[in-house]
Amino acid sequence: MQRAIPFEIFRYAVILGIVAISLVPTLWMVSMAFKPIAEWSAAGADLTWWPRNPTLDNFRFIFGQSSTDLIVALERTAGRPILASLLTATFGTLIAMTAGTAAAYGLSRFGQGGNLPLALIQLRLFPPMAVMIPVMIMWSFLGLIDNWFGLSLIYGIVTLPFAFWLMKTFFDDMPREIEDAALVEGCTRWRVFVRVTLPMMRPALASSALFVFILNWSDYLIALLLTTRDWATIPVYMASLSSSMTGQLYGAKAALGVIAAVPPIIMGIAIQKHLVRGLTFGALKE
Amino acid sequence: MTNASTMEPVAERPAASASTGAGLGLWLTLPAQLLVLFIALFPILMQVYISLTDWSPLDGIPWWRAHELWIGLLNYTDLMADSRFWGALWRTMFVMAVCVPVQFLLGLGLAVLFVDDFHGKRVLYSTLLVPMMVVPAVAGYMFFMLFQSGGPVNDLLSLFTSDPVRIAWLSDPDLALIAVMVADIWQWTPLMFLILLAGMISVPQDQQMAAILLGASWWRRFFTIVLPRMKSIIIIALAIRVIEIFKIFDTLFIMTGGGPGVATETISVYIYKVTQQELIWSYVAAIALAILIVLSVVSVFAIKRMQRGQGT
Repeated sequence: MQRAIPFEIFRYAVILGIVAISLVPTLWMVSMAFKPIAEWSAAGADLTWWPRNPTLDNFRFIFGQSSTDLIVALERTAGRPILASLLTATFGTLIAMTAGTAAAYGLSRFGQGGNLPLALIQLRLFPPMAVMIPVMIMWSFLGLIDNWFGLSLIYGIVTLPFAFWLMKTFFDDMPREIEDAALVEGCTRWRVFVRVTLPMMRPALASSALFVFILNWSDYLIALLLTTRDWATIPVYMASLSSSMTGQLYGAKAALGVIAAVPPIIMGIAIQKHLVRGLTFGALKE
Repeated sequence: MTNASTMEPVAERPAASASTGAGLGLWLTLPAQLLVLFIALFPILMQVYISLTDWSPLDGIPWWRAHELWIGLLNYTDLMADSRFWGALWRTMFVMAVCVPVQFLLGLGLAVLFVDDFHGKRVLYSTLLVPMMVVPAVAGYMFFMLFQSGGPVNDLLSLFTSDPVRIAWLSDPDLALIAVMVADIWQWTPLMFLILLAGMISVPQDQQMAAILLGASWWRRFFTIVLPRMKSIIIIALAIRVIEIFKIFDTLFIMTGGGPGVATETISVYIYKVTQQELIWSYVAAIALAILIVLSVVSVFAIKRMQRGQGT
């Protein structure tokens, strides 16, 4: 539809304005991450929007290199928390995707587990805070507090609804002729699933896994409750970058924030055409 | 092409040869069933039990012997009179009542601007989605920095005043909640936009074309054709935000920690504080259970209604 020129100008003005506003907070953090201490500390009170002397000192600092300007040294570097985030998010994704894909196939093809869709939506509805007391009691009983497997397991359960619903809509969309042909050839149901269906669904599996990974990587509350030190994830560790001794280490926090923010942004843009499907539990497909 | 299919959680069409695969189907769904049972049944029974006692992890007795500290329904009667709980609930509802409509209207407006093609659409679309992919805890930290008294927000405001603005946003009880809501609106308007745009694109063109030929104005077409056809999508988008704001924690907790005082204490923050700082776990169990029961009733009712609505 062709619209009038004034409308086009109006459209670009509004959109560019909103895009600018939506980018400012992120860019501010990026800017902080590359500022030397003199520009981000409270002492250097005059505010600069862009680093005058860009530096990688903040990144070096959180990985343990002591800075000449900053007297403090870190008791723990960011390496371990980054590893913890990566490992627990990956393993949680593995759990959610395995259970979710299998169940989605079972429901989509064989009509089994009819209670799951509703149960999983309800699982998504409840605040995690409302089931954490029993989980914390059970986890400490099982020795899973501050343990990578304990955190991964709960991640797997919390994101199971997304894995299940995404894969269910993908299986529902998939034509069954190929599977039927393989069945006629004499393959067992299991073989058809493993050898025919899953390889065909590789793109769908990859998109769903990335989606679930983003969710796991983004968690803060659960890690805050279930980890103390060894397996503290990035957001939990971030809080330790401020203390009464050092004050807020703005630059160091910003550098860590950039590291935490980059993977999900890249992954999210990579799977953007499936985002709607994932976020609305398949109610809307693209 | 977008396809607005209906939510059909229960009704399924089994494959023609369903009977042959029923056994495999059961095995395939088993892990998910076990995980759901594990996170639903056991914790809920445990919460019922603990909530009837005065147990806390500091008592030195394991949770299964909590019956030694039996207090009956006292936790629940305490809850009724707990002004801090009701305050937190009210505050959560207030954040919801402000943020959801703002996010909806902004998202809808943006969707209208994006519904037909223009130069640079793809890049601008992707850029707009960035906020919702930022880790919420990191977003909380971004806004923590932005709202410092010497931070960029005040710096921008200073452009309009003669004196430099030095508002301490996050330590002012009235302003802290505003800052928190700004952060939520920033992060989650893109989600509304994403869903509403997908819904808007899926509205069939034929009726609109007919309306154009009949000379209907853009506003008229939008309100009588486009919006009514987006009804179920709009409900889903609103429901997602209502549910998520009810749980609001990460961003807010990092920005203010629920403070100053209890000025930004929402339900999740309140429960977290009782859990971690006051360690009255039996009371937390009672709160959690009360919330679970209310949410279950509401959700079953809502989902039933939606299914009935779509049957017609």
